[in-house]
Amino acid sequence: MTDHILSVEDLSVTYHTTGGPVPAVRGVSFGVDRGASLGLAGESGCGKSTLANALLRLLPPGTDVSGRILLEGQDVLALNPGGLRAVRWTSGAIIFQGALHALNPVQRIGRQVAEPMLVHGTVPDHDAARKRTGELLEQVGLPPQRARAYPHQLSGGQRQRVLIAMALACDPALLIADEPTTALDLMVQAQVLDLLGDLRRERGLSLLFITHDLSVLTYVCGRIAIMYAGKIVEQGPATNVFESPNHPYTEALAAAFPTIGDHRARMAPSGLGGDPPDPANLPSGCPFHPRCPRVFEPCAGEDPPLVTIGRKSSAACHLMAQPALDEAEWSETIPRGDCR
Amino acid sequence: MTTAGRLRRRRTATRVVRQFAHSRPGVIGLTVLGIFAVVALAAPLIAPIEQLNPVLSRASGNPQWGRPGEFLPLGTDHLRRSVWAQFVWGSRVSLFVGLAATILTMAIGSTMGIVSGFVGGTTDRALMRVTEWFLVIPFLPLAIVLASILGRSIWNVIFVIGVTSWPATARLVRAQVLTVKQRLFVDRARSLGAGSWHLISRHVLPNVSGLILANATLAVPISILTETTLAFLGLGDPSSASWGKTLEEAFVNGAITRNAWWYFLPAGLGILAVVLAFTMIGRTLEEIADPRLGRRP
Amino acid sequence: MTPLLEVEEVSVRFGPVRAVDGVSLRMAAGEVLALVGESGSGKTTLVRAIQGLQSPSAGAIRLEGDAIDRVRRRQIQMVFQDPTGALNPRQTIYEVVAEGLRIRRDATDERQRVLQALAGAGMRPPERFLSLYPHEISGGQRQRVVIAGAMVMQPRLLLADEPVASLDASIRGEILVLLRQLVDETGLAVLVVTHDLGLAWNIADRVAVMYLGRIVETGATEALLANPQHPYTRALLSVIPETRQMEQQILIGEIPDPSRVPNGCRFHPRCPLLQSGTLDPATEQRCIDEDPGAIALAAREAAACWPAMAPWPRSFH
Repeated sequence: MTDHILSVEDLSVTYHTTGGPVPAVRGVSFGVDRGASLGLAGESGCGKSTLANALLRLLPPGTDVSGRILLEGQDVLALNPGGLRAVRWTSGAIIFQGALHALNPVQRIGRQVAEPMLVHGTVPDHDAARKRTGELLEQVGLPPQRARAYPHQLSGGQRQRVLIAMALACDPALLIADEPTTALDLMVQAQVLDLLGDLRRERGLSLLFITHDLSVLTYVCGRIAIMYAGKIVEQGPATNVFESPNHPYTEALAAAFPTIGDHRARMAPSGLGGDPPDPANLPSGCPFHPRCPRVFEPCAGEDPPLVTIGRKSSAACHLMAQPALDEAEWSETIPRGDCR
Repeated sequence: MTTAGRLRRRRTATRVVRQFAHSRPGVIGLTVLGIFAVVALAAPLIAPIEQLNPVLSRASGNPQWGRPGEFLPLGTDHLRRSVWAQFVWGSRVSLFVGLAATILTMAIGSTMGIVSGFVGGTTDRALMRVTEWFLVIPFLPLAIVLASILGRSIWNVIFVIGVTSWPATARLVRAQVLTVKQRLFVDRARSLGAGSWHLISRHVLPNVSGLILANATLAVPISILTETTLAFLGLGDPSSASWGKTLEEAFVNGAITRNAWWYFLPAGLGILAVVLAFTMIGRTLEEIADPRLGRRP
Repeated sequence: MTPLLEVEEVSVRFGPVRAVDGVSLRMAAGEVLALVGESGSGKTTLVRAIQGLQSPSAGAIRLEGDAIDRVRRRQIQMVFQDPTGALNPRQTIYEVVAEGLRIRRDATDERQRVLQALAGAGMRPPERFLSLYPHEISGGQRQRVVIAGAMVMQPRLLLADEPVASLDASIRGEILVLLRQLVDETGLAVLVVTHDLGLAWNIADRVAVMYLGRIVETGATEALLANPQHPYTRALLSVIPETRQMEQQILIGEIPDPSRVPNGCRFHPRCPLLQSGTLDPATEQRCIDEDPGAIALAAREAAACWPAMAPWPRSFH
């Protein structure tokens, strides 16, 4: 409990727009243990990117943030600007998706990697920075000579590696990766995921991995949290969440990615109707109830709290308060499109 | 179906109107412009045209350089003509020249921009060179040359403004067409078998029309100022009383040394007000057409 | 019986770039073929060639035995990756779906056919959607509208370019169900371009895997995915979470530049099988020196890989 590198308690983020307040994150609590990795998955509009930005206070001014964020014991929301700058990069670093846009096109990548070190004074001089940059590039699987390259001379995968090198520059304890593999090809995506896994093992880096693609999480993450409409609806060890989901939404997400060789999924893709809800206009009760295949009476009335299941998992669903269903009945209730 | 489409379009129009009504600069601009439009249209009713005639003015016993107190409402000039009448009739000419020149500018500019951006290749390069050529022509010498060749009429003023101010519009429209052309829905229409005409009229034009409209409202004040400049330099139509011409006459006849502020102030403030009004309307329309400029709802 | 689509030894070159390099494939009516490949594999160029938007430098493309002309081109329609971008924000749903009919000046029963196409794409009741704009419907519905706009043309072949890649995971299944339904109900053939092997498992009858301008392996979905012959296919399968038992085999580097296709087998510089050193020296030499060639038109199951083609003494599965 005490060895959380990051602990988030009851975090809420509300944007204020001309259309009224938009609650993007609504009371989220979780922790990342030192050296562990947590995957945060959800669909568009579920608040996962807002959450990532909130962790290092990168949200636009005028946004309401409440709750507590402890990063290496420091209360991020209470820090003054100087303390905040120190926390960014040195305690927690963030890598975004879209590696092309995050790099300055007219600066050699070596200089861009060295920049955070020089800014934060973690190296004595430029020579040391250059040396460290070479080491970092090597660590992320790029030849150190590539420091002289411009971003456009690198492929998408290589640029993502540069961003990772940059994030590692100040030796952060936590790496927040926001959709780091989204625009990448399958094999390159596997390479980047592999690299993140290696870094975690070798450097004891903690990882918060945010993605819409539930399937990539099982590779890199020990634990997974599923977000829906600004809340965590299920949390647990990666394999449990995937293989025996407690929440109907997780169930549907897991079923969307069939296991190849599973003949139940052959010619029978499965999915949910409808769209993820608009955060500005959430349904009553459990926000998932209009799309839920297992909806029953209490769902529309009351938003279910996150309840602990077993030793390591939790889920927010009224079904959790119901007597357990046997396995067969459970899988039958999830709709599968039948093609044949 | 077209009825449903029309209904939808009307609803879109309602939305634009509502957004416009919520914008303070937009409402102020439109109000000011509305007042001037009423004044211009009602000119024969509120200021008889005879008051512009120096002979009749003299005959009716108007004072020379009459202050606003001596002669209502705005005094008289060196030829005993009513400044108010000049102001009212001048608004007509200025608004007309501004609008007509803008229409000409937009027609040439949009056509060049759309053709250049959509067709691309050699056509694009050729048209852009032509555009650049027009862009770098020094405006005043050309206007002076054209005015002396074509003679001094209001139509020539419109023509001169039109042929010299379209290049900026052409480049703006071309840039927008280039981005619209890249959009996937153009690919989709193409894969349905659409020809160039269909693509331009159904996909490109509707997606650049907002920009053209917003640009037009910004071009009007420039045209009005240009007309003023030309008239002030004595290149305007000698027979019509524009605000520019009022300023020119006031200046030439020593209104400034006489401290006859009532002679040039109305025309000057008129220009200022109309130009500001159009700019405010233009900015508002631009924000509605391109929500990224304003705060997103 | 003539096959629906025949792509015979098609190459597309842009100067030294061999984007598509001798691809042959055949599709029957009522068949779903998943064309799997990473970016740079040439799949997009191949699709453009089939669509008639890119003329091949060599080879022939035929629909029911005919070259792709104006009439035939109408029978090939597209579904795009990003439905939001594929819809003009200023057109109503009705105008979007009717657009194809209007372009070919086919005004008979326009409204009826639009309603039918929308209902067929699962937009029910269709009347409710006619006067809406794209931003007023959901992402999944937008993709349905794109599909309706294609189906109203009564195509024989649908080219679907990553039809669910930009959709939220929970919506993906519904669109795949719809595509499969259309195939089964109308005898339409669908060529799905994708990087997603799970999608292939969900709806495809056959799979063709492209690498650097060539189809390197093709076969019936179940056989190919259960027992891949080409080391590239094996590597692709091993890195996706949908096959959890397989040991990961992450290839090094990226697809080479198609203007510099390696000699011999084009996959050999990255081939894990060759690098494993388990091949006999003669085969190894062959992989490095000799191109295994393109897969023939008539082949239903084939892998362009020397070890896979040779009678293979050691088990490598």
